[in-house]
Amino acid sequence: MKEIIAIIRYTFKENIRNKTFYVLLLFTIILLFISTLLSVLGGGESIRILYDFGLVIIEFFALLIIVFSGVNLLLEEMDSKALYLILTRPIPKEYYLLGRYFGLLYSVILSMIFMSIIHIILLLYTGWEPNFSYFVSIFFSGLKITIIGALAVFFSLFSTSRVSALVFTLFIWLLGHFNQEIKFLIDKISSTILQIVMRLLYYIIPNLQFFNFRELSDSGIVFSKIILNVLIYGISYSCICIIFSILLFKYKEF
Amino acid sequence: MIVLKTNNLTKIYRKRHLGKLYANLAVNNINLEVKENEIYGLIGLNGSGKTTTIKLILGLLFPTSGEIFVFGQKMPNRNMLSKIGYLPETPYFQRYLTGKEILNFYCQLTKIEFADIRIKEVTEIVQLGENINKRINEYSKGMLQRLAIAQSLLHNPSLLIFDEPVSGLDPVGIREIRNFIKLMKSQGKTIFFSSHLISEVEKICDRVGILHKGELKRVIDHKEWELKSLEEIFLETIEK
Repeated sequence: MKEIIAIIRYTFKENIRNKTFYVLLLFTIILLFISTLLSVLGGGESIRILYDFGLVIIEFFALLIIVFSGVNLLLEEMDSKALYLILTRPIPKEYYLLGRYFGLLYSVILSMIFMSIIHIILLLYTGWEPNFSYFVSIFFSGLKITIIGALAVFFSLFSTSRVSALVFTLFIWLLGHFNQEIKFLIDKISSTILQIVMRLLYYIIPNLQFFNFRELSDSGIVFSKIILNVLIYGISYSCICIIFSILLFKYKEF
Repeated sequence: MIVLKTNNLTKIYRKRHLGKLYANLAVNNINLEVKENEIYGLIGLNGSGKTTTIKLILGLLFPTSGEIFVFGQKMPNRNMLSKIGYLPETPYFQRYLTGKEILNFYCQLTKIEFADIRIKEVTEIVQLGENINKRINEYSKGMLQRLAIAQSLLHNPSLLIFDEPVSGLDPVGIREIRNFIKLMKSQGKTIFFSSHLISEVEKICDRVGILHKGELKRVIDHKEWELKSLEEIFLETIEK
């Protein structure tokens, strides 16, 4: 366990000292400030605009960081052969993968918290009254990021290039927001084979719409049962991706 | 005592391209034996299978057939890795970390107690001095090599496996590595290293294995190259 923590720390330090990480974070903060200016144009709905726009920006930039870093997380160390020195230590291979994944998550979640604090300060400044729904939205955005990170790691293990791993991850992220449309198509398609394929896609692709609590917060009602189900779904999906990644990694040659 | 032994070690790289399967025999039926406290050099041309052999021993590659034993234990064996210190051909470290952070990280991976004391000891051996507090992106090639050697010594291994340790170094750097290998032998360690620089191998090795096209063609004792130069023996062997 201590070895996993050592790898988490190593990955965290590597990320927070990476200039690209800071540039993305700075860009997000600038955009949050710009959204404050835009919200003024919204008249009576200014708080709502800042609230929604801010949450979208935070999630989008966290997604960018996790996808690019997730794909590079193992590939960079494989290409540079830096992982040779780690894998020739008396530690199980899965410790390395788990440490790298959780180290990346730790960095991204921390940056999300930092961005949220700035967002909250801006919202409070415009007269927003804090509510539980905001924190639920941020929490589930984080869970969505956890899934995308696990997928990025998984794809990076069997893709031959960074670009293909990146495209696969972004494609799944995109499809993940159209699960209901896929379901609709299944009912409309007459071909049995296509129906089977679409049904497979429907179950394999993560339903990322589940994690969207921005809409729910409109009514001010947070359904505890839904929250619990989505929480179990998100954690299970990430765990399955990581288990498959571990299996691939164990039998990978370097 | 035999520290490292391979029995009919074979590695075939298989790659599929456009539906066609390509096979490349990288290492073919290698039978190696490295004795305790000896310096064993594996020499061969580029692409002769030196790095593949080392990777197979360390478990970075899986053998197609054959067996590897380290200190009598069949590999892969995680516990045996704590007895091996490895130096890759082109050592690479995370460039945003300092030398000390890197060594500290490897100490944690090998469960070394009193890491600070051990880091100080190995830093003195490799003469890295105050450079240990600099970030890796400020390191020269020579400093990187010293840091790489330091990490291989942290857990006080009995067997050192070095892949092309003098590759890309200037004459001063080469001499330092040579002296360092001799120092390690004097401390009772076994050193197994690969190189294509025959002149270097000739100076320090007790025995040499000639690898050519994935096959171990000949094993020579240092007494043999006292009569005839190692270069001549090497050329005779590969041109046969």
